[in-house]
Amino acid sequence: MLDFISENRKPIITLALVTVVAYVFYFLDEIKTTSVLVFGWGYAVPLVLAAMVGIIGERTGVVNIGIEGQMLMSAFASFFGSVITGSIYLGMVIGILAGLVMGAFLAVAAVKWEMDQIIAGVVINIVAAGLTSFFYAPGKTLPQLMPVVSIPILSDIPLIGPVFFRNGLFALATLFIVLAVNYAIFRTRWGLRSRAVGEYPSAADAAGINVLRTRMLNVTLAGALAGCAGAFLALEAAGTFARGLTAGRGFLALAIMIFGAWNPLGALAAALFFGLSTAIASQLQADEVINIPQQFVNLLPFVMTLVVLAIAVGRVRPPAAAGQPYTKEG
Amino acid sequence: MTETKTSNKIGFFVRNQSIVVPIAAIFVAFFLGGILIFLQGVNPLVAYRAIFSEAWFDSDGLLRTFQKTTPLVLAGLAVTVGLRIGLFNIGAQGQLISAALASALAGIYITTLPPILHVLVSLTCGVIVGALWAGIAGLLKAYRGVHEVISTIMLNSIAIGILDYLVSNPFKEPDQALQRTKKIAETAILPNIGVIPFGFILAVIICLLVSWMLNRTTAGFRFNTVGKNKFAATYAGINMKLMVVTGMLLSGGLAGLGGAIETLGITYRFEPAFNAGLGFDGITIALLARANPLATIPAAILVGTLRAGGASLQFETGIEPEIVDVLLAITLLLVSAPILAKFLFKGKAQKSANVTSGWGN
Amino acid sequence: MKRMRTLAGISILALVLAACSSGSTDTAAEEGMEETTAAVLDDSNCAAAESFCVGLVTDIGKVDDKSFNQSAHEGAMAAAAEVDGFYKYIETTDTKDYAANMAQFTDKSYDVIVTVGFLMAEATVTAAKANPNTKFIGVDQFQGEEVANVTGLIFPEDQAGYGAGYLAGLMTKTNKIGSVLGLEIAPVQLFAKGFEAGAKASNPSVAVTTVYHPPADNAFGDPVWGAAEAKKQLAQGADIIFGAGGGTGNGALIEIAKAEGAGTAIFCIGVDTDQWFTVPEAQPCLITSAVKGLTEGTSDLVNLAFDGSIAGGNFVGSAGISDYHDFASVVPMDVQDKVAGVVAGLKDGSIKTGVTL
Repeated sequence: MLDFISENRKPIITLALVTVVAYVFYFLDEIKTTSVLVFGWGYAVPLVLAAMVGIIGERTGVVNIGIEGQMLMSAFASFFGSVITGSIYLGMVIGILAGLVMGAFLAVAAVKWEMDQIIAGVVINIVAAGLTSFFYAPGKTLPQLMPVVSIPILSDIPLIGPVFFRNGLFALATLFIVLAVNYAIFRTRWGLRSRAVGEYPSAADAAGINVLRTRMLNVTLAGALAGCAGAFLALEAAGTFARGLTAGRGFLALAIMIFGAWNPLGALAAALFFGLSTAIASQLQADEVINIPQQFVNLLPFVMTLVVLAIAVGRVRPPAAAGQPYTKEG
Repeated sequence: MTETKTSNKIGFFVRNQSIVVPIAAIFVAFFLGGILIFLQGVNPLVAYRAIFSEAWFDSDGLLRTFQKTTPLVLAGLAVTVGLRIGLFNIGAQGQLISAALASALAGIYITTLPPILHVLVSLTCGVIVGALWAGIAGLLKAYRGVHEVISTIMLNSIAIGILDYLVSNPFKEPDQALQRTKKIAETAILPNIGVIPFGFILAVIICLLVSWMLNRTTAGFRFNTVGKNKFAATYAGINMKLMVVTGMLLSGGLAGLGGAIETLGITYRFEPAFNAGLGFDGITIALLARANPLATIPAAILVGTLRAGGASLQFETGIEPEIVDVLLAITLLLVSAPILAKFLFKGKAQKSANVTSGWGN
Repeated sequence: MKRMRTLAGISILALVLAACSSGSTDTAAEEGMEETTAAVLDDSNCAAAESFCVGLVTDIGKVDDKSFNQSAHEGAMAAAAEVDGFYKYIETTDTKDYAANMAQFTDKSYDVIVTVGFLMAEATVTAAKANPNTKFIGVDQFQGEEVANVTGLIFPEDQAGYGAGYLAGLMTKTNKIGSVLGLEIAPVQLFAKGFEAGAKASNPSVAVTTVYHPPADNAFGDPVWGAAEAKKQLAQGADIIFGAGGGTGNGALIEIAKAEGAGTAIFCIGVDTDQWFTVPEAQPCLITSAVKGLTEGTSDLVNLAFDGSIAGGNFVGSAGISDYHDFASVVPMDVQDKVAGVVAGLKDGSIKTGVTL
């Protein structure tokens, strides 16, 4: 436990600070604070999931700039999968499978073909935007609603309960996914091996780890999380599919990943920070408390991110082998 | 796998793989795209004829192809310069649009200059604003260690917000519902020479200069050294902070020039919708050109052609213009993935170096 | 062997994708083609007096956008079909292509060209001056100076918003209503300000929350943001929300339809067209839509162009609120009467919205 705290000092301090501030506001205005936080967390969910995709990839040495496209394809697949099968649960499965397929594509291109990883990602983005627009069929609606589930006891906690523990399935799962990814990366054999592959592939190879297979596997599995993010957007957040539904969130997630220093909890804190600033900006616009144009109010999350990075976070180091294909010598 | 004799002819192709493979890639992409088109009930040849007869064999169309190519060359160069120094500039979009507004303002509010000088001053304003906008990311990276991927993504959004405010309020054309600036003065207009826009000539010259700079000068040598190995570069006494800031300024300036040429040569005013997506196309172009400055020109011409012909494609055949993006993606995939080279040249396939090397740090 | 397999894999992928596409032949595009080609087979002799060819250029976006492009497209297509004319459209992908897209039609001597969206106003006038024999219909394009062959189809968006706001002011129980909007540009501002003015007119104690999407290229295509903003406003007590902003607004409507009490205590209001049909997911809460008569306006003007009686300048289309559909029994009769009176008053000019930009 102490280890855990000392290893994750920054994200834990951030989360604690946010919690304290949130509760102060909660006692000032219960409804407003809760709803702003709900907006903030809802905004953060796809960013967190997508950032996990990036983290798993880069920790293993594969840069994934195609998260945007992976999410878009999955959103498309989950929506039309639901429409065709008549069940959003099957749609969820189809969306996650689509994510896996997209992940596998990146794995094959970047690891097996040793293609330039950024290019592989850009190809995914262009293909996804093109195909989902080309094959989009208007006038379809989801067969049923995503159920809202309340976790007993936890959902009764003031503020935190309704924000984190009374949600659709993907938003509920996200917190646990972050903890699981964090645990897996830092506490399991798989994580140790993956990080070795991402930091020093030749040494990992010498130690008997199959570098290429580890990378293939991780990048493919991470695709499933991109699938979750896409299915969340289509089935849970929007309740529909529209062309360009992801709206740049895949790129924002890359920023969140780096902001969080390639650390799952860090990314969670960064995404929450970003989501909350977005929510606060929208609330300031709604309340008209400060009389400045909405264009400036809405700059808040972007400017705050730059300020925080410039002042507090400073230099971060990506996994050493991220972006470099591995060719076995000899 | 074991052909013994390689005749001279084949040898020629093997030696020039870097040219043969992209051309073959385009053909394969068009073939696969043709299957898609055929299954929509349209003859692919008719569809491709529609694209090319519009984009190349029609004087208005040809002008438009060059007009579309111009900012793509410059945005592509902006990303290329960044890649060469190990920086991933996702912010070409923000730099390009800020420059587009800056050059429009110079074109509108400076009224005392003679024609050629006015154009030069307006272009310069654009280049400077583009460079400065990227320079913020450069400074943040050099002195505060803020990763350029984050800062340029944030700066893109910040630019969009600020520009939206500026054209909705202080610089809005009066008595007009649209959020846009007034038209620039006649003296600031960048003319077309027949079917060739002057901006295109400018872009080609800049492209040659950048290529010369990167490959033939000490500054270029430093750029490449930094891009290839930061530790070696530091060891060799290269001032990393200076290089990062210079690299971003140059990259932003190039993107800015693209935006300025758009304003002064095509749109004659600034309107937020005009420049959507150009900076992101720059990433595609740079990668298609494998970060080779000279190759950005053919890469941009390919994209410009497909985009210029897209409307005619829909008019003639009813095929939706998105097919163009699918063609591009397949081309990019085949140019970059070694499968095609291996298929064509088997054991003699060259292994091309990677364009990017991850995120740098 | 291996590389053959890869290539085969790619080809199969392409085939599968292509097969999917050929399955989806029920798109609006092809329907349009088929229906109209029954009369005139192609556009090879549009110049001839007996043939009537109508072309349409969309703004950035597509003819299935559930919004203004779609409405104008449906109007133009229907009008062309009615008189056995030929109809074709081009979807714009780059704002710098407006002129070139129009030129596709003028090169073939089309009789009427419909250009959709106020961004295209300038390009339309330029094209019209160069092609005096072609009639241009500019949807949402106010004509400052009259050009003989350009008719601007304009709508008083503020009146549509006012009518919807007036209804919302009467229907709200919490005295809090809201709007979830796209990019802050003229037509959206008119809708939003009209909505606020109407609500204040019918219910002086109402509080109206107005939130625009942050400036971005996708401000009209971000249903995820729209849904989140709507959820926030609902939680803060708004019980009627106006979703106006393309896909962004549609996201808000769909979210409100999911809320507890939707259709009994909580309502949503759509925009542009009767969204009962374009966003069926919103039916549980969609009390009405603030509509512009895009479809009928476009088709009326195409018909006038067919008769030859179309005039240059501005043509003011209808604006108001749409049918209540299933909510006709939920909205009290006296409210319906009052709202109808206000809408009529706006139309004849006896009531002013007082909205200025």
